[in-house]
Amino acid sequence: MIDFTSTPIILTLLLGSVGVLIPVISVARKEKGSSLYGGIALGALLVAIGFVIYQIITKHVSPAAIFSQNVLVDDKFGSFFAIAMLIVGIMTTVGSFNYMRGRSNPAVYYSLILLSSIGMVLIAYSTDLVMLFIAWELMSIPTYVLAGFSKKDPSSNEAALKYFLFGALSSGIIIYGISIAYGITGSTNIEQVIDGFSKLGPDMMPLAILAVGMFIAGFGFKIGLVPFHMWLPDAYEGAPPTIAALLAAGTKKAGFAAALRVIIMGAIALNLNWAFALAVIAIVTMTVGNLAAIRQKNLTRMLAYSSIGQAGYILIGMSVAPFSQLGLQASLFHILNHAVMKAAAFIAVAGIISTLAVSHIEKIKGLGKRMPITSLGLVISLLALAGVPPLNGFWSKLMLFGAAINSGTAVSWGPYLAVAGVLNSALSLAYYGWIIRKMYFEEGESDKRVKEPKSIIAVMIFSIIFIVGIGVYPDPAIEFAKSAVPVLSSLGSIH
Amino acid sequence: MSNGLIDFVLVSVALLAIGIYGLAVKRNAIRMLFGVEMVVNSANLNLVAFSRYIPNSQGQTLALFSIAIAAAEVAVGLALVIVAYRMYKNIDIADFRSLKG
Repeated sequence: MIDFTSTPIILTLLLGSVGVLIPVISVARKEKGSSLYGGIALGALLVAIGFVIYQIITKHVSPAAIFSQNVLVDDKFGSFFAIAMLIVGIMTTVGSFNYMRGRSNPAVYYSLILLSSIGMVLIAYSTDLVMLFIAWELMSIPTYVLAGFSKKDPSSNEAALKYFLFGALSSGIIIYGISIAYGITGSTNIEQVIDGFSKLGPDMMPLAILAVGMFIAGFGFKIGLVPFHMWLPDAYEGAPPTIAALLAAGTKKAGFAAALRVIIMGAIALNLNWAFALAVIAIVTMTVGNLAAIRQKNLTRMLAYSSIGQAGYILIGMSVAPFSQLGLQASLFHILNHAVMKAAAFIAVAGIISTLAVSHIEKIKGLGKRMPITSLGLVISLLALAGVPPLNGFWSKLMLFGAAINSGTAVSWGPYLAVAGVLNSALSLAYYGWIIRKMYFEEGESDKRVKEPKSIIAVMIFSIIFIVGIGVYPDPAIEFAKSAVPVLSSLGSIH
Repeated sequence: MSNGLIDFVLVSVALLAIGIYGLAVKRNAIRMLFGVEMVVNSANLNLVAFSRYIPNSQGQTLALFSIAIAAAEVAVGLALVIVAYRMYKNIDIADFRSLKG
C-alpha cells in the first residue's frame, strides 16, 4: 500500500518533477542565463524542507522506527537525515549561483543536484534493501556526472572517472551483500533480514558475517572509511568545489544513514564482537585522515582529508552504540553539524576559487582583508570542525567522547576511543590553525578588497548563524537528534 | 534440487573474483568497466538463483532493477571515458596524474 501523503513520497514527487522539468524548460527557452534554473531548484528544495518540518511539527511523522513492512517508512530518523541532506542541497545550489555563471548546461547541473538529493533523502527513509539500493544509485549516478561537470578541465574529468570506478565497485559490492542476505533469509525487507540473521544456525553464520562485511565495505567506500578511502581526496579535489561540498556533506552522510539502518542493526542481530572492529576502524580512519591533511598544500584536498578524519569521529558513536545511550544520539548530532560545517567550508573555498582562482595555501595570504565575509565563514566552519567551544562542533564532539567514556563500564577499550578522539582534534587544530594564520596574520601581495559574490555571502551568513546558533543554544538540536535515534532495545525482542 | 544451487553460487563467486581481479590489475578504463559489470552481474546471478530455490520473486525483482541501474551506470561511465579519451587521447588510468598529494 502506498500512502500518498507520506513525506518520502511527496518529496520524491516534488523534487523529481521539478528536477525533470528544469531541462525541459531550458530546451523550450531560447535565451541563456543560469539564474532562472538555480532559482527554480532552490525554490523546490525550500518547499521540500518546509514540508518535512511541517510534517514533524504537525506530528504526521511516526517516532523513530527501524523497521516497517513497507519499502519506505515515514519516521523521525528519516526526517532527521532529510533535513540535513536538504540543507546541504540548498547550500550547494545557492553556492553554485556564482560558480555556474557563464558555464554551459546550468539547467542540467541544477536538475542533477535535485535528483541526487532525492536519492539521499530516500536512503534515510527506506526500510527495504531493494529500495535502499535504488535510492543509493539514484544518489550516486548524478554525482558521477556532476564531479566531471567541467568537461574542459582534465582534473575534473580524472576525478569523475576515479570516483565513478570506485563508486560503481561499491554499489556492486553492496548488491552482492544484498544477494547473500536475501539468499540466507529469503527476504529483502530489512526487518525480516535481521530477524532471519538472529535465528541462524552456526553453519550459516559465516555467510551472514560476509554479508555484513560486504555492507561495511560498500557503504565504507562512500563514507570514506580508511581501507576504502583512496579515491576520496582525488575526487573531492578535482570535482568542481561546489560539488565537493555536495559529496562531502551530502553523499557521505547518506552513506551513514544507510550504515545505521543496515550495518548496526545487522551486526547487533549477529551478536558479533563487531563493536571492537568498528572502533579500530574509527581510530585508524581519523588518524590517517588527520595526519594526511597536515601535509596538504591545496585547500580542497586538505578539506577532503579532514572529512575522512571526521568520518572517524562519527564512527566512534556508532561503535559504542550498544553500550551507551548517548552513542547514536551523538553520531546523529555530529552528522547534522558536520554536514553544515563541511558544506560551508567547501563553499567558502569555492568562492575563493571562483573570484581569485587560487586554492593553494600559500596563495591565500592576507585573504582576511581581501574577502572578509568569506574568510570569516571559512574560519568559523574550520574552528567548528576542530571542535572549539562556543561552536556546534564542540557539543557534538563532547557528546561523542562522553559516550565513549560512558561505555567504559561495559567495555574496557571505550575510554581509549575518547583519548584518540581528543588527540586527533588537537592534531586537526594544527592544520586548521595554519589556514587561519595564513589568512589573517600574514601579509598578502595586495590588500585590495575584492568584490565577494552575493550568493557565497548568503551561504556564509546562513552557516555562521547555524554554527554559532547551535553552539550557543544546542538543546533543540540535541533533542531532535535524540528523538530521531532508533531504539536499540527494541531489538532485544529478536534475541 | 538444492545440489543445483551450489553450482550457481560457485559460478557467481568466480565471476565476483574475476571482476575484482580485473579492477585491481587492469589499468585500461574500459577493462575496469568490464570488471565492475562482472561484479554486478555475479550478484544478479546469485539473486536469480536464490529466488528460484527459496522460492519467492523478490530476488528476481531486485535483479531486474539492478540490470536497469547497471545499464544507466555504464552509460554514465562510458560517457566519462569518452570525455577522457578526447582530452588525453588515451584511456589508461595510470596516465591520469593531474591529481597528486
